Amino acid sequence: MFERFLRAVASRWFRLVLVVLIVLSVQTTFFAEVRPFGFAVQFIAIFVASVGCTHDVQTGALVGLISGLMYDAVLATPLGISALVFGAIGALAAFLMQPFRDPTWWLRLLAISVVAAFGEVLMPVVKSVVGLGGWLNLRIVGAALVTFFGALVVSAPLMPVSRWTLQERVGRGD
Amino acid sequence: MARTRTNLTRAIVLLALAAVFFITLDLSGSGSTSNVRRAFDTIFAPVEGVARVVTRPLSNAWEAVRQYDEVVDENDRLKEQVALQEGAAVAAAASVRLSQELLALNGLPTLAGINSVTAQVIGETPTNFSQTVEINQGSDSGIKVGMPVLNAAGLIGKVTEVFADRALVMLISDPDYALSVKVVTKSSRTPVTLPPLPTEDAPTVDSVLESTNTSSTSSTSSTTTTILGFTPGTTTIPPEVVAGAGGGSNITVPLASQLAVRETGILEGRGPGTRPIVRFLDASTRGSAIEVGAPIVSAGGSRSLAPPDIVIGVVSRVVERLGTAGPVLEIDLVADLSSLSFLRVLLYQPITESGR
Repeated sequence: MFERFLRAVASRWFRLVLVVLIVLSVQTTFFAEVRPFGFAVQFIAIFVASVGCTHDVQTGALVGLISGLMYDAVLATPLGISALVFGAIGALAAFLMQPFRDPTWWLRLLAISVVAAFGEVLMPVVKSVVGLGGWLNLRIVGAALVTFFGALVVSAPLMPVSRWTLQERVGRGD
Repeated sequence: MARTRTNLTRAIVLLALAAVFFITLDLSGSGSTSNVRRAFDTIFAPVEGVARVVTRPLSNAWEAVRQYDEVVDENDRLKEQVALQEGAAVAAAASVRLSQELLALNGLPTLAGINSVTAQVIGETPTNFSQTVEINQGSDSGIKVGMPVLNAAGLIGKVTEVFADRALVMLISDPDYALSVKVVTKSSRTPVTLPPLPTEDAPTVDSVLESTNTSSTSSTSSTTTTILGFTPGTTTIPPEVVAGAGGGSNITVPLASQLAVRETGILEGRGPGTRPIVRFLDASTRGSAIEVGAPIVSAGGSRSLAPPDIVIGVVSRVVERLGTAGPVLEIDLVADLSSLSFLRVLLYQPITESGR
């Protein structure tokens, strides 16, 4: 029993939850206050996209769903909306990287930025689908652009973090 | 390897279904999602606290670089404004007090009878698609979901999530926010001016106050009233108001039909940077024209989210529509939602939100 608990704690998924907690805290403090042109850079969406770009589709989707559920828990929006959006962008980021055998660093950077910005477009669409209208306006463009340029800056250090978070260790974890 | 992939797929399907399930629960107003949030907050709050301490210097540096010139200009402007407002504030305070006394005399509800909690804004929304702020008071201070939140200027929103020592406030500009409001419009008819009454026929202040459940002493020019729940004060009545006094001046009698018309409608937020609107104006009372600058106050009522007569804003534009749809009013809010600091949460929970 205790052995199983230790294995669970040492697993990459437990590590992921801890890292997402830290990413989420940076999102709700620093990036909630530092708002270029009045828009918040979606640091957590960039993290999910960087996981997608450095792993496969399934890992990207799963990390997106977990991160999104945690993000929803601190927002006033219905629980589950961010989970669906981030699940989609995690999978999309990995899907975009699939045609490339060994993508260059700048290609990953670009993919992360595009996908994270797409998340800002997808969020109000999903909100509208569940009946929370009023966000589908030109403001989306500003939010997407700020997240795009923000991702160009912060995704470079996030890629090694996402690799470290989800690396599998032989004989431990999974 | 294949087993791991199958497990991952199962986990994805399970989490996606859980997300859809939670959305359904949350939109149907279930309280169980609030429990999930509270449980998560227990773990997340300490981490967020540490992150706030670490990132605060960086945020402050950003604000300092971005807003220094604006802050200096604003400070100069505000000093001038404060000097202008000081005189007006004294007169306004006297008017508010008089109004509260009159409302109490007539048994009408006032904000003075509702307790409140002062809170400070400690965080903004981390997302671009919701308009919320975080305050540093929660259920420990008696705050509950649905309670209206004000700043010094007027209504700014309502409480949507409550934790032990903090709460989330949805701002009035959020598209999910809606509130029944009154538009106070001027009557199109002019009041009737009557010649002075003979002194013996005129109603005195004594006769008016005797019919109420208060103790009072009065003379022709001043009256002192003691009203339950209010600090006693002296109200000076101008001599010309009392018929027959002061040399028999004319009396302006506003008939009930000539008082300010209060039209009711629904105020809806439209996102940041866009003015909220008032729709669904009551067709039965829409006779009088609504003018730009007409004040908007909360309508109150047993099912309303806020008590009556909280100042919200003024009409900035009237968009006429064809048919019976009625006009749509664009509102300039009196509260500046972009720079909120200290807020007041009224401990008034509407019936519609009770039990949450």
